[in-house]
Amino acid sequence: MLDVLGIIFAHSERENLRELTDVRTLASVPMAGKYRMIDFILSNFVNQDIGDVSIIARNRYHSLLDHLGVGREWDLIRKRGGLRILTPYGQASTNTHAMYRGTIEALAANMHSFRRSMAQYVILAGSCMIYNMDFEHILKSHIDRGADITAVYVRRPGGRMSIPLHMPILHMDEEERIMDLQVNGDDMTPNDSPWGTGVYVIRKSLLESLVADAMVGGRYDFQQHIIQRLAPVLKILGYEYKGHLMEVSTVSGYMQANMAFLDPAVRSQVFAEPIYTKIKDSVPVVYSHGCCVKNSIISDGCHIEGTVENCVISRNVRIGKGAVVRNSIIMQHTEVLSGVSLDHVILDKDVMVRENRSLSGHSSYPVVVGKGSIV
Amino acid sequence: MTYANKKEMIAMLLAGGQGSRLGVLTDHVAKPAVSYGGKYRIIDFPLSNCANSGIDTVGVLTQYQPLELNAYIGSGQPWNLDRLHGGVFILPPYTTGKDGVWYKGTANAIYQNMPFIELYDPDYILVLSGDHVYKMNYEMMLDAHKESGADCTIAALRVPLSEAGRFGIMNTDPDFRIYEFEEKPSMPKNDLASMGVYIFNWKTLREFLILDEADPDSANDFGKNVLPAMLAAGCRMYAYEFKGYWKDVGTIESLWEANMDILDPSVPLELDDPPWRIYSRNMVQPPQYIGASAVLRNCSITEGCQIEGEVENSILFPSVVVKRGAQVSNSVLMEGAVIEEGARVEYAILAPGTRVCADGKVGCGRTGDGSHPISVLGQGAVVEKGAEVPSGSILSAEKGA
Repeated sequence: MLDVLGIIFAHSERENLRELTDVRTLASVPMAGKYRMIDFILSNFVNQDIGDVSIIARNRYHSLLDHLGVGREWDLIRKRGGLRILTPYGQASTNTHAMYRGTIEALAANMHSFRRSMAQYVILAGSCMIYNMDFEHILKSHIDRGADITAVYVRRPGGRMSIPLHMPILHMDEEERIMDLQVNGDDMTPNDSPWGTGVYVIRKSLLESLVADAMVGGRYDFQQHIIQRLAPVLKILGYEYKGHLMEVSTVSGYMQANMAFLDPAVRSQVFAEPIYTKIKDSVPVVYSHGCCVKNSIISDGCHIEGTVENCVISRNVRIGKGAVVRNSIIMQHTEVLSGVSLDHVILDKDVMVRENRSLSGHSSYPVVVGKGSIV
Repeated sequence: MTYANKKEMIAMLLAGGQGSRLGVLTDHVAKPAVSYGGKYRIIDFPLSNCANSGIDTVGVLTQYQPLELNAYIGSGQPWNLDRLHGGVFILPPYTTGKDGVWYKGTANAIYQNMPFIELYDPDYILVLSGDHVYKMNYEMMLDAHKESGADCTIAALRVPLSEAGRFGIMNTDPDFRIYEFEEKPSMPKNDLASMGVYIFNWKTLREFLILDEADPDSANDFGKNVLPAMLAAGCRMYAYEFKGYWKDVGTIESLWEANMDILDPSVPLELDDPPWRIYSRNMVQPPQYIGASAVLRNCSITEGCQIEGEVENSILFPSVVVKRGAQVSNSVLMEGAVIEEGARVEYAILAPGTRVCADGKVGCGRTGDGSHPISVLGQGAVVEKGAEVPSGSILSAEKGA
């Protein structure tokens, strides 16, 4: 087991996933059919032999708790370490809404739990990305280079020419030492600067003192108030991640990431190692006479009678006779009745689209139908 | 403090059978571990029935090729049988001092495990076999058992009188009390066939097991020896009529048919039944991908599959690959089977890890009388490029084609 405590932030202060995160925290947003966003980073940790993982949940985490349970499906029921989900508890005197003012406050509020971990190092990660990192090598590089903090960065991942909004652009010297950080405010202009993935390696004792110090000074943002502010005094090194990466913080990014799974090259990279998720004992998919399915991901428990093209479909979805669904994402337990026509639509969980309805969006602005709606 | 470990009823699942009529499909696994229905093993049915009936203590008696079955059952967690008090236990034959013998018969298997049963001091014991596909509430059967004041209750299925000669038939009074057993009668008098599911009062069964063991001429078999002995001794024995889907998957043909039944909406086997789910060990596979050139008609496909070819009237297990231009129809493709470009598979069962190379053929064409005998590829068998496995033939990995 790596000498590491994994800490995952289940929320993001910078995402704009509209209706998708109205009902759930970012980490439990469904992805690629039967998964939730958290499954990818959590499986990455487990596959890298990190068996001590804490997840910091801020709000709307019911679905996350329901999904993760005690962590059995990720093999995180352990005598040493294992999975801990840390939910906020409001304190009447100070912070009644129990809404952390930033990542540092979220860490500070849960430091008592991290202190109990026997791991020497901490790896911090967010929930808005899908990647498959070699944490063992990143930790080795952190130790060998004598870094105080290692920040994992990417440069034009998958040929992507622009940098997602609010991502940290890193300024590094030739030794990869981070000199400054700037939050990206422009996601349109081509820019090949390196940008941070939100993955940081740090010795746990150093994290404790940096967090305590920042809290005393009323500084709450890890990126700005620890990485940027302390860049001149700490040895903060970059580590370039060159593998596959998908970023989900907008609805169009969400659509693109799901559709990317239709590419066999993407699937073979993401699923090179097992991705664990909640087991639901769904039955295999039944494809009836008269169905037509092309270039789609379909999860177990579905019953397909209509036409499905370029879609990503979660568990227990029904597509009725004569329905035509294209370029869409359909979440679990949703029913599309006969004769319906959908194009560039995201149907959240438990939606019903009645007979012969028609909905159409655009790849740049998909129609999102909220959880439990009846169209 | 000592806490009572008592259970009202525990189940003993007979899983030691070789299933020799399944041929190459049971070369490497016991019959209860044979795959069925896309993501299940046969044993998932009795285990899930136990879990859904509120039976939390199950002994699984293994003997023949137990490794895969043992690994599959593991801690019993997929069936919610990893319990603090009770749970699932694998019970192979074992030695005691100089003694120790293989299970000589079904009754002897239970006899040898009397010490296990007595750990739980049960009032009733449910004896199951791992050979059948069915969904049954054993708790309702126990209620009937108590109500009739029986010493033994045997689950029974009504079969057409013309087929009754293939089963163990129970002749009963109008209140279902059994007065006679007939094993495979040539002139059946009744249509109630035994399903191999028994509930016994444990104290009574215990006596008869000890008597049976003492008889050197006994085959130590429930059907042949113990049940007739109980009847002869005047025990109250009742048939309990079960009305759902039940299939013995003991032969190649019946295994194929039971798989095809899933695709037939007129067959009353509903696997997608949230109050009575059939649980199975999960394979951790990505969702299936259906490619742009795929054509699917009336089929069942599960996780990890990648389909680019044509699939019709077939059941595909996890991680099956059907490549572009390949055609699969009326077949059962078990885990990891690969059908390459241009290959054709018809009326076949392909065991796990098989491969039909490009332009290979399995089971194509029909016999003179127009029937479709089932072809079988044993675990790991490979049909070489362009080679042909004729209809109704069986290919094992060792032979190759």
